[in-house]
Amino acid sequence: MSVRLLALVVAFAASAATAGAQEVDRTLPSQLSAPTRATLERLIDSARVAGLPVDPLYSKVREGVFRAADDERVLAAVRRLTRDLGDARSALGDGAGAEEIAAGANALRAGLQPGDLSRLRESRGRRDDHPLTVALVVLADLATRGVPPAMATASVNELVARDVSDGSLLSFRQNVERDLVSGRSPASALDARTRAMIDDRKP
Amino acid sequence: MSEPDDPRWLDDVAGELRREVPVRPAWRARLLDEVARTPTPSLRDDIDDTFDHRDERAGDRGRRRWSISVGPVGSLAAASMLIALGAGATYVAMSRFGANTRAGAGRTAVTAASPQLASSAPASTEREVVRFELAAPRASHVALVGSFNEWNPVATPLARDPASGKWVVSLRLPPGRHVYAFVVDGDVTADPSAPRAADEDFGSANSVVFVSSPRT
Repeated sequence: MSVRLLALVVAFAASAATAGAQEVDRTLPSQLSAPTRATLERLIDSARVAGLPVDPLYSKVREGVFRAADDERVLAAVRRLTRDLGDARSALGDGAGAEEIAAGANALRAGLQPGDLSRLRESRGRRDDHPLTVALVVLADLATRGVPPAMATASVNELVARDVSDGSLLSFRQNVERDLVSGRSPASALDARTRAMIDDRKP
Repeated sequence: MSEPDDPRWLDDVAGELRREVPVRPAWRARLLDEVARTPTPSLRDDIDDTFDHRDERAGDRGRRRWSISVGPVGSLAAASMLIALGAGATYVAMSRFGANTRAGAGRTAVTAASPQLASSAPASTEREVVRFELAAPRASHVALVGSFNEWNPVATPLARDPASGKWVVSLRLPPGRHVYAFVVDGDVTADPSAPRAADEDFGSANSVVFVSSPRT
């Protein structure tokens, strides 16, 4: 038995020791057929070995079962999410956390391009301790509300570059949403709200 | 330790060692996480391993690698020791987790107008209280489903707040991004006051709530 193998076994024992604190149910629902569960297990294992967050994948499976989707649909959703998670991780860089990657995948699903995510990371500059999760949540939300992704990205990038807080970003989203509901055009709403937020930060 | 002369003994032991051991899915997941974090060995490492003994003969102590040869009996002893170690560590970990849960149970929920961060938690716990609410005056039953309750429609029912008439529930959620939806009399609907998730794989859209990390 080599030292390397021993280290792996010890790592397994240590993993097992902390498994009691695991909060996410990482089992696959019995409502799915055995072949579907086996396929999902392989997909999720591949994602895990690739270093992608797998909790969103388990959640997607559970959501599918809750919504009474058939096996094929659940599989398609998990495959798509796995692909989006991989693309998001590539765009955001190896230093991206699980939450950032999941939010990035969602932003891609909303219509943003991987290049938009990379530009957002560049806007943050060297402030690596400030995750982009909320910025990505805001971007995805704006895109789903009909704001052109390029326009949304430009505004959010500007705010992120100025180190606007997560709370302010969420307020910004809420204000833009309110403007859109009241009939304002996306361009006008974004422009006004971005400018207002930047003005607020001026000393 | 002397071993029996019967060669079948070795087969029996080998058979036992080859037998598939049922492993909890969560443990398996964590093992694979560890594997994913382990850097991929390079071809150079393999070559180094192959020439380990040659290096030792040449007295190259700087590049010497250690290897341990263990027989079947030794393997069994090592396995037993590791299982005992794992069981002990599991007990300690679960004890600690249980203590945290009990410590958090007595805290009072703080209300907020939106399903975002609703209160700051002390540094001793990572969870934050989040209040969800929905105005659905004609509904007879409202529940919350999401990534935090395994999309279980019976796990988190909302109650009607007599003061506001809204359906409300407060939950303690760990930091991070959570996807959720309301179930109003059997119909799944997004939260109108929260950011939307662009994940309409199974019909209607979901919502997103973000819980920030506890301030220390």
